[in-house]
Amino acid sequence: MSTEQEADTADRESRRSGPLVAVTRWLENLGETAFAYLLLTPVFVILGAIALYPLLRTFELSMYVNVLGTGDPEFVGLQNYVDMFTGARDPDFPGSTMFLPDVSTSSSFPFVHVSGWFRSALVVTLVFTIVSVFFETVIGFGQALILDQEFRGRRLVRVAIIIPWAIPLVIQGMIFYLMFHPSTGFLTEYLANVGILAPTNTLNDPLSALIIVTIADIWKTTAFMALLILAGLQSVDRSLYEVARVAGASRWQQFKLITLPLVLPAVAIAVLFRTIDAMRIYGLIDITASCTVVPSLSCMVVETFNTHRGLASAIAFVTAGIIGILAMIVIYRQYKEGF
Amino acid sequence: MATTTEQRSDSEDAEDGVIAQWTKGVIGDDEKRARLYRALFYVACGFFLVTTLFPFYWLLVLALTPNSQILTGDWSLPVIGIEFPHPQGFNPQAFVEVFQQIPFHLYVFNSFVLATVTTIIVLLVASLAGYVFGRLDFPGKGPLMLGVLMVSYFPPAAFLIPLFDAFLGNAIVVPFLGIELFEPPRLVNTPGSMIMPFSALFLPLAIFILTTFYAQIPDGLEDAARVEGTTRLGALFRVIMPLSAPGVATAAVLTFIAVYNEYFFSSIMALENVPENWSPLVGGILSYQDQYTTDFNLMAAASIVGVIPILILVIVAQERIVSGLTAGGLKE
Amino acid sequence: MARVSLSNVTKRYEDVVAVDEMNLDIKDGEFVCFVGPSGCGKSTTMETIAGLTKPSEGTIRIGETDVTKLPPKDRGVSMVFQNIALFPHMDVYENISFGLRLRKYDQDEIDRRVDNASEIVQLEGMLDREPNELSGGQQQRVAIARAIVRNPDVFLMDEPLANLDAKLRVHMRTELQRLHKQLDTTIIYVTHDQAEAMTMSDRIAVLNAGQLQQIDPPLVCYNEPANLFVAGFIGSPSMNFTDGELVDGGLTTEHYDIEFDTTELGISPGDEITAGVRPEDIYLTRNEDEVDSPSEVIEATTDVLEPMGDEIFVYLSLDGTSGSSMTSDEAAGASNQLLMSVDPDTEIDEDESVSIVLDRSKIHLFDTASGDALAHGIVDLSEAERTRAAAESRGQHE
Repeated sequence: MSTEQEADTADRESRRSGPLVAVTRWLENLGETAFAYLLLTPVFVILGAIALYPLLRTFELSMYVNVLGTGDPEFVGLQNYVDMFTGARDPDFPGSTMFLPDVSTSSSFPFVHVSGWFRSALVVTLVFTIVSVFFETVIGFGQALILDQEFRGRRLVRVAIIIPWAIPLVIQGMIFYLMFHPSTGFLTEYLANVGILAPTNTLNDPLSALIIVTIADIWKTTAFMALLILAGLQSVDRSLYEVARVAGASRWQQFKLITLPLVLPAVAIAVLFRTIDAMRIYGLIDITASCTVVPSLSCMVVETFNTHRGLASAIAFVTAGIIGILAMIVIYRQYKEGF
Repeated sequence: MATTTEQRSDSEDAEDGVIAQWTKGVIGDDEKRARLYRALFYVACGFFLVTTLFPFYWLLVLALTPNSQILTGDWSLPVIGIEFPHPQGFNPQAFVEVFQQIPFHLYVFNSFVLATVTTIIVLLVASLAGYVFGRLDFPGKGPLMLGVLMVSYFPPAAFLIPLFDAFLGNAIVVPFLGIELFEPPRLVNTPGSMIMPFSALFLPLAIFILTTFYAQIPDGLEDAARVEGTTRLGALFRVIMPLSAPGVATAAVLTFIAVYNEYFFSSIMALENVPENWSPLVGGILSYQDQYTTDFNLMAAASIVGVIPILILVIVAQERIVSGLTAGGLKE
Repeated sequence: MARVSLSNVTKRYEDVVAVDEMNLDIKDGEFVCFVGPSGCGKSTTMETIAGLTKPSEGTIRIGETDVTKLPPKDRGVSMVFQNIALFPHMDVYENISFGLRLRKYDQDEIDRRVDNASEIVQLEGMLDREPNELSGGQQQRVAIARAIVRNPDVFLMDEPLANLDAKLRVHMRTELQRLHKQLDTTIIYVTHDQAEAMTMSDRIAVLNAGQLQQIDPPLVCYNEPANLFVAGFIGSPSMNFTDGELVDGGLTTEHYDIEFDTTELGISPGDEITAGVRPEDIYLTRNEDEVDSPSEVIEATTDVLEPMGDEIFVYLSLDGTSGSSMTSDEAAGASNQLLMSVDPDTEIDEDESVSIVLDRSKIHLFDTASGDALAHGIVDLSEAERTRAAAESRGQHE
C-alpha cells in the first residue's frame, strides 16, 4: 500500500487524549466483574428506588399507627397484623357494610361469613385466582391445540385470540361493566335465569360481581396461557408422532401418551405465572364492579392507604408475602434449571 | 377392533336413528373420522373467534346505538324476539361526541407519551442489563437475575404507599433508621410519577427478552467490532443491538403495550382524571363512567377509539408478541 | 509495521493459568505462528495482544508503545477471526470500511482504501453484496480486506482458515503468504494445524500449558526441538519416543541398546533419558547404505502397514505383541512400538521379521524428567574416539 496513507499505529492512537478518551480508556480497562456491575447500576437504581425501598418502607410503616394523623406516628409492633386477622379494625375500612355482609342476612356470599374483612379479601383473591386460572388453563390448552395446527386463516385466528390480551385493562373493564350494567346489559337476564347471577342490582351483589370479574379475566388472559402452552406444544419433537402413528396409536392416544406428558411442564410454569399474576387482581374489580363489593387483597391496600396508612402497609406487606412465596417456587425452579 | 364393532352394530342396531348410524360409521371409517375431526376443529375455531371478538361487536353496537335506545334496555331482535344486541339506529355521531364531551385525544396523547418514554428508558437500561446477563460472566450473576425476576412478581400494591408518599413530596426516610434523606420534588400529576413505577415494573421482562437475544450473538462479532475501532459499549449499540433487532422490537412492543394498558399506577398517580395532570387513557375512559354515567354510547365509542392503536400494533407485530411472551415466560 | 514484545505476560482465570510468564519478541514484518494443542493458551495470548483480554501481569509493547492498558481499538492491530465474524447487517463495503468510518476518515479516503484493499484480496465488484451471499472463501477475503484496510501495525489471525474446506484452505495459505510478501506487515497467526505453521511462518512459537516451549524457524523446530513436547507436537506422524537409561558409553532401553559418546551430554550414567527418532529416520537394514552413520541393528516384527501413496507407514513391534489398535501417535509413544516410514515401492509384508537401523545423526536425546533436549544427533563411539585421537594428536603437534 502506498506510504502516504495514514496508518493506524498504536503510537498514534495512544497519543490521543481528552476527557472522552480518558473515560473510554477507563471503561475499557475495567475488569469484567466491575464492568458488569457498572452497567447494572441503572437497574439497581431503578429497582432499588421503585421496588426495594418501597418494600422495606412498607414493612416499616406496617408497624405504626397514626401515620397520617396530626400527632407523631405510634409504634405498635405487629398489632396491625393482629388486628387484620381478628377483624378488630373492620370499621376502619370505608364501605365496610357493603362487602361485609352480616352472617344472618347475606346468603349470596358464603365465603365471607367468617369474621373480618381481611379474610374476605383473602377468600375473594384465592377463589378468583383458582377459578380463573383453572378455566384459563383449560380453554388456553384448547386454543393452543388449534394454533398448533397448520390451516388457512391461522394468522387471523391467532390475532383474534391475542387481541383480548392486548386490550387496555380499563377498556376490558368497561366492556364487561357495560355488558352487565342494569341499564344496558343483555347478558344479565340470561345468566340470572339459569341462576348464576343475581337478577337485580347485579354489579352490587358480591357473588355476582365476582363471577363477572372472573369471566372478564378469563376472556382477556386465556390468550397468555394459550401462547405459553403453544410454545410447549411446538417444542415437542414431531417425529414422536410419526413413531406413534406407525405403532398404531389413535389421535386421542397420541394426545394422551405424547402431547400431554411432554407439555405438562410448560403448562405447570404457565399456571404458576398466571397464579402469581391473578393474585394481584385490582384494576378489573375497580372498573367493573367495585372494590367495596368484591374486595381483593390489592383492593384493600388502595382503599385504605389514604386513611389508615399503617394498616394499609400491613395488608400490602402480607399480599407481597403471599405472592412472594409463590414466586419463590417459580424462582427455585428457574434456579434449578440454571440460567 | 373396528370391524368387530361394526359387525355387531350392523346386526343389532338396524333400527337406530341416523345419528347413531353415522357415529358408528365414523368410528370405523378413517376418512369419515378425519372429516369429523376437521368439523370439530372448525367448530372450536369458530367458538373461540366468536367469544374473543363478540365483546368488540358489543362495543360497536353500543357506540352506534343512540343513547336513548340503549336506556330502554331492549335488545330483542325484530321478528324472532330473542334478546341479542344489534345496532338500533345508526349514530356514528358518538365518535365525534367522544372528543367534544372531554378532550379524549389528550388522554390518549398522554398515554402515548408515557408509553414511549417508558419504552425508551426500559430499552436502554434493559439493553445494558441484557448485555451483562447475556454476555458477561461474573460472580453474583445468578442471584442478581433472580432478584430482578422477583421484582416482576410483586404486586404493585406492595410498592404503592412509600412511592405515593415520595411522589407527594414527603421526605425519603431510610427504613428502620428514621433518617430523613431528602425531600423529593412533588411528582404526582406529572409524567415522572408514572414513568418511574412503569419502568421498574416492566424492566424485568425486557431484561429477560434482551438477555436471551444478546446471548446469541457470536463473541467474534463483538471482538471484531472492538478491534476495528469501538468500545464494548460501542459494540453493544453498533453491532449487538442491530443484530438483535427482532428481540429489541419484541421488548419494545411488549413494554409499550404494557404501559398503554397499565391501570394501577395510571389510575392513582394522577390525582384527578384531567389531562393536565397527565392522566392517561385510563383517566379518559373513567371520566365517562364518573361524570356521564348515562352516556353509555360514548363510553363504548371512547373504548373503541382507545383500542384502535393497540389493535393496529397487535396486527402488525403479532409474531413479536407471540415470541416475546413465550420467551419471557418460558425463558428458553 | 512494528515489532511486538511480550514480557512476563500472565493471564490467570479463577482456577487456571491460561498464559504463564510469556516472554516473546516478534520482529517487525515477521510472520509468526502460534501453535499448540487446544487449551495451550495460544488464543489467549493473541487476545492479550489484541486487547480483548487483559493480562493479569506483564506488559505488551507494539512498536515502541506500551499498549498493555490501551483498548483494542487504540492498539493499531487488526484481526481476522476463526468464525470470520463479518457483520451480517452490513454489506461488504460497510464491513470493510467499518473501522475507517468509526475513525471518521474522509469519504474519499475511505473509498480509496476500500478499493485498494478489495483489489488486494480480489474482491472487486462485490462491494455491494451481503455477507450471506458470499462463499466461505469470499467471506474470508472480506474479513482480510477489513483487516488490511486500516494499515495496522500488526495483523492478528486466529485460526482464520479453520472453517474452510481442505482445498480452499491450502489455496488461502498461499494467498496469505502472498499478502504478507506484498504488505510486509507483522503477522501473528494462531493455528492448531502444524502444516499451516510449517509452510507459512518465519518462526513458529510452540505453546503448551500456557508456556512458550520454543520459538524458532519451522525447520529448527523440526530438526532441533527444544524439548519432548515440541518434538512430539511438530511433525506428522509424530516422533517415536523410547524411554531408557544412560549407561557408560551409550543408551539402554528395554528392547535395544545404542552405543555412543556420552561425554558431551553433561549428564551422568544412570540418568533416565528418552530417545526420539522420526519415522523417516528409521531404515531397513537392507537399505542401510542410505544412512551415513547407522545405529546398531534392531530386530522387529512388522505389524500394520499403512500405504499413503508417497510412502508407507510401517508399525513395528519390538516384542512381538500387536499394537494395531493404537493410533499412529499412540504407537509412537509406546516403548515397544516404532513407526517407520519407507518408500512406497519397498517390498514389505505384515507380520514379517525385519532388521532396522536408526540414523544416528537424527536421534534426539531428552532428559526424561525435565523433557529438555540433550542432543540432536549422537556420535558413534568409534568415530568419537577417532576425532578425539585426532584432536589429541593435533594438540600434541602444536
